[in-house]
This record gives sequence, structure tokens and C-alpha cells, in this order.
Amino acid sequence: MARSRKVFFRRRKVCKFCADKIDYVDYKDVKLLQQFVPERSKILPRRISGTCARHQRLLQQAIKRARHLALLPFTTD
Amino acid sequence: MRTYELMFVVDPRIADEEVVTMTQEYKQMISAGGSEITQEEQWGRRKLAYPIEKLNEGKYVLLFISSQDGKTALHEVEHRMRQNDKILRYLTVRTDEDLKRAARLARPEGAGGSSSSGNEAGEPADLADEDEEV
Repeated sequence: MARSRKVFFRRRKVCKFCADKIDYVDYKDVKLLQQFVPERSKILPRRISGTCARHQRLLQQAIKRARHLALLPFTTD
Repeated sequence: MRTYELMFVVDPRIADEEVVTMTQEYKQMISAGGSEITQEEQWGRRKLAYPIEKLNEGKYVLLFISSQDGKTALHEVEHRMRQNDKILRYLTVRTDEDLKRAARLARPEGAGGSSSSGNEAGEPADLADEDEEV
């Protein structure tokens, strides 16, 4: 008899910055940063993106700098 | 040695030539303060992510600055930019420390880095395993 084990498949989350070896998160790299600000323009939490703590910190700083220069939105309505 | 990046956004109604002269002025101030401009980028007209002073576009200028002894006129330049209402936004970032740290991080990983690139291809295989327990 087949066990009715729930077939959950979770994709293993890997920090994009570690995988791509990005050690300096540049606030000018809008294309990269945009991947971490979904529709509402909030910063994507680590728990969802899988970014490691160090890179999330760098990312956060970069996004905030980009927002100041109007490269990224603070919010969308 | 310290390196900085200075980016500013100019009112799009200002002609390109005037943007250049403005940039020149700031560059002169920086040079006079004892640091040098290593690189300059004119991004030109770009759409703003949100309106600033009811404007939807801006002209972006980016300066890379390096200073040997850490003395710069950047404080003064920022002061002038604040008073210049043709400048919508400016941002100065000190980059040498971050870049140095990034370089330090990049080096040790260079030795064993080649093995980690294959994880993307390995993922779909996990799904197929589920059928085997009958």
C-alpha cells in the first residue's frame, strides 16, 4: 500500500547574491534591485527570497539609496 | 585612499549643454579640494520612479571621485547642490570600504567556487523520486 505522504515539493532557496557571487550590491543596478521589489515596491523579505543575511543587508541599503535617487519607487498605488 | 560616487539628478528642462557646464563647475570644486575625478557618466534623460516637484523625468549625472588623503570638498559641493533648485536629488556614497570588503570576500571563494554552479540542473530530479515507493 502506498503511504499517503504529502507530496510537498519546496524549491530550495538559494541566496541569489551568493550564487552569482555578487559581493557589492550596487544601488545603480536597477535591473538587479527590481527583482527584490515586487508590485507594491516593498523590499522582498528574506524568508521569501532566500537571500542570506549579509546580502539582504547590503541589498536593503542599495534599495534605499536607489529610492532616494528615484531609480526605484517607494510605493506604487 | 578613499573613493566616492556622487550622483545627482537634474531638472530635465535644463539643456544638456547647461548640465555639462554645471557638472564642470562641480568637478572644478572637487578638483580644487584636492581630489580627482576618475570617471564621469552622463546617463541622460531617464524616467523617475516617482514624480519629484511634479516632474516625471530627470537627467542623471554620475561622478567617480578618488581622494588620496581623505580630504574632499564634497561637503561644500553638497551644500551648493542643496541650494541649487535645478538639482532634484543628489547622493554621495563612499565606496572604497565596501569595494575592498567585496574584493576580500570574492578571493577565498574563487578556489572552490566551480562546484556550486550545478544546482539549477539538479532540482527537477527530486520530483521524480516520489513515485518509487509503491
